[in-house]
Amino acid sequence: MSVDIAPRLPARPFRWRLSRLTPLIWVGPAVVLIGVVVILPVIVMIQSSLQKISPDGFVLGDAGFNNFTKLFAEPAFVGVLLRTAIWTIGVVVVTMVISLALAQLFNARFPGRRFARWALIVPWAASVMMTALIFRWALDSNNGAINVVLNRLGLLDAFNSNESAWLGNPPAAFGWMMLVAIFVSLPFSTYAILSGLQSIPEEIYEAADLDGATKWSRYRAITLPLLRPAIIVAVLINVINVFNSFPIIWEMTRGGPAYATSTTTTFMFTLKQSFIGESAAMSVINFAIVIIIVVIYLRSTRWKDQVD
Amino acid sequence: MKSQLARRVSGAAAITAAIALAATGCASGGGGTSASGSAVTLKLVAADYGTGPSNTSQTYWQDIATAFHAQNPNVTVTVQTINWNDFDSQVQTMVQNKQYPDITEGDYFSTYAQEGLLYPATDVLSNPDNLLSAFKDQGSYNGVQYGMPFTTSSRTLFYNKALFSQAGITNAPATWADIQTDAAKITALGKIGFGLPLGSEEAQAESLLWMLGNNGGYQTSDAKYDINSAANVQTFQFLNTLVKAGDTEPSPSTVNRTDLWQKFAQGQVGMVNGSPALIPIISSGGVLKDSDWASTQIAGKDAALTKTLGVSDNVAAFNANGHQAEIKSFLDFAYQDQYQLSFSKEYDLLPATTTAANSLAADPTFGGFIKSLPNSVQYPSDTSWPQVKTSIQQTIGTAVADDPSTVLGQIQQVASGQ
Repeated sequence: MSVDIAPRLPARPFRWRLSRLTPLIWVGPAVVLIGVVVILPVIVMIQSSLQKISPDGFVLGDAGFNNFTKLFAEPAFVGVLLRTAIWTIGVVVVTMVISLALAQLFNARFPGRRFARWALIVPWAASVMMTALIFRWALDSNNGAINVVLNRLGLLDAFNSNESAWLGNPPAAFGWMMLVAIFVSLPFSTYAILSGLQSIPEEIYEAADLDGATKWSRYRAITLPLLRPAIIVAVLINVINVFNSFPIIWEMTRGGPAYATSTTTTFMFTLKQSFIGESAAMSVINFAIVIIIVVIYLRSTRWKDQVD
Repeated sequence: MKSQLARRVSGAAAITAAIALAATGCASGGGGTSASGSAVTLKLVAADYGTGPSNTSQTYWQDIATAFHAQNPNVTVTVQTINWNDFDSQVQTMVQNKQYPDITEGDYFSTYAQEGLLYPATDVLSNPDNLLSAFKDQGSYNGVQYGMPFTTSSRTLFYNKALFSQAGITNAPATWADIQTDAAKITALGKIGFGLPLGSEEAQAESLLWMLGNNGGYQTSDAKYDINSAANVQTFQFLNTLVKAGDTEPSPSTVNRTDLWQKFAQGQVGMVNGSPALIPIISSGGVLKDSDWASTQIAGKDAALTKTLGVSDNVAAFNANGHQAEIKSFLDFAYQDQYQLSFSKEYDLLPATTTAANSLAADPTFGGFIKSLPNSVQYPSDTSWPQVKTSIQQTIGTAVADDPSTVLGQIQQVASGQ
């Protein structure tokens, strides 16, 4: 390029060229940061997924796609994928539905609203690991608080029974963990929607009232469409967060018994202890899944038209 | 200036060591000796044997480090202790990330020796022959000892005498049939009959204790993995019936040793396989009196075991930082009888040196355990054990709920290299 241009524009002052670079000063640090923190790890991850690595981290040579074939042959693999889908879709859908209702409630005027709004932040502000540990012990088969309450209510016959061992029974354990995940996801989505609600001008509702709209049609025809940008952002961030969620499952069941409550994220971590290459292969798949979900989602919601 | 010089000198020493390594092709050549007068910091990472802040191993090691520093002002030892639940994975992560400590104390893997990360015992101890010889093989790779036992223990069956008499049981359990009937009687009292910790923390120990009861084990006598042998499958079929009958805690595959030992100490469990380390947990629990519990030989299928599982926790000295001379003087210091004995006393574990063991041989609590150490059974020591152990910890617990031969077969597949 410069070779072509140089003879035709010999008089261009040096200062002009430097000034062309000034945006780089502003963009540069971010680019470097993204390069070091995002792109480099991705390259290393893909590289390790193609290597044979000893449990202590020594590269023993090229593995080709062996790590992937081994991973796909893991008896637990299909179950882990299915559970990840149930986990992500279930938690996000239920969270959004409850959040829509909660945001409506918190947008209404009632005494103590300020206090209630503060209280909603608590599950978000508290460490997720702490929340998960509290639930784990509350579900203890011998003397967990939840079991004690169920027992007093006459819903649970005996401690130390299979019925009281919630976390030992994979479907029940998974259900409880989804509940915890919803609990900690609610504050963010509710606040995102609440801020959307507050940006809807009052006049639109007044006009609707004049036209004799019912409460439900007001909500469907005005509130929901105008909330769309807020909902799109909240869903997207939730999907990524919930898909990558680690501490809840790790602290409550460690993905066990065996891998029966593992999602791809915890499964990857369990593999990492001794099977690094396979674990890297799992990471590559995780990464691909997140990218695909995000692209499909953004396409289908035409997010640019909505949020820009 | 002085510290810069020191860094250069030790750097030069490391380079010398690296060249020596390359030249001899030896997996673990001697590290360089730093010039005297240079300040060196040793990083010690140890498992925490304590049950809380009052008896954390941080204090034990810090006391040794301080006393050592007083005598060797040039060497500072930083101590980091990690709870047992996370010890393996955290040390593994340090090694995977090439952030090597100088000394570790806890679980030790022969892969570290295979990869040339460790000093042999002869390089970092003046008198390695004083280590109990029973555990020599476990710490050896290609005939050279790298893992140095620091503390040892053997397993026994603990039972709650108070619950036993409440349930009308008079004799200590010796056979699987005893366990079955006694556990059923204790379960009828609303307690946990037999505590079976097959969660990931230490499933490999609990499983081996049951396998030994049926003359099984992880390996055949010629050190080949035989995890899904007929005897082992039969063992887990027995456990399967025990669990299904409700004689254990529910879903043993999710229950860890530490939690279950706490429940035993709270008087909630009738029987549990334990090590001497359970004793301080019982006394700190403040629920069981000394007369309320006892310990006996591990129960076997037809008779109590004569050989129990002997476990040694090992010291490993990493050569990456080239601190051979300092490590040697520190380990010589830390292996003194007084520290061996104070560790045993603090955690009710057994010493790992001959001189310290001899001085306890007549002790009423420890004497019996010490005599049984020489013919105890140990974990496999080959280099595939770390991966096999991970698979066992993660999945073997499901063999008490699902089909044992499938679960054991899958672990055997990992063990035999897929």
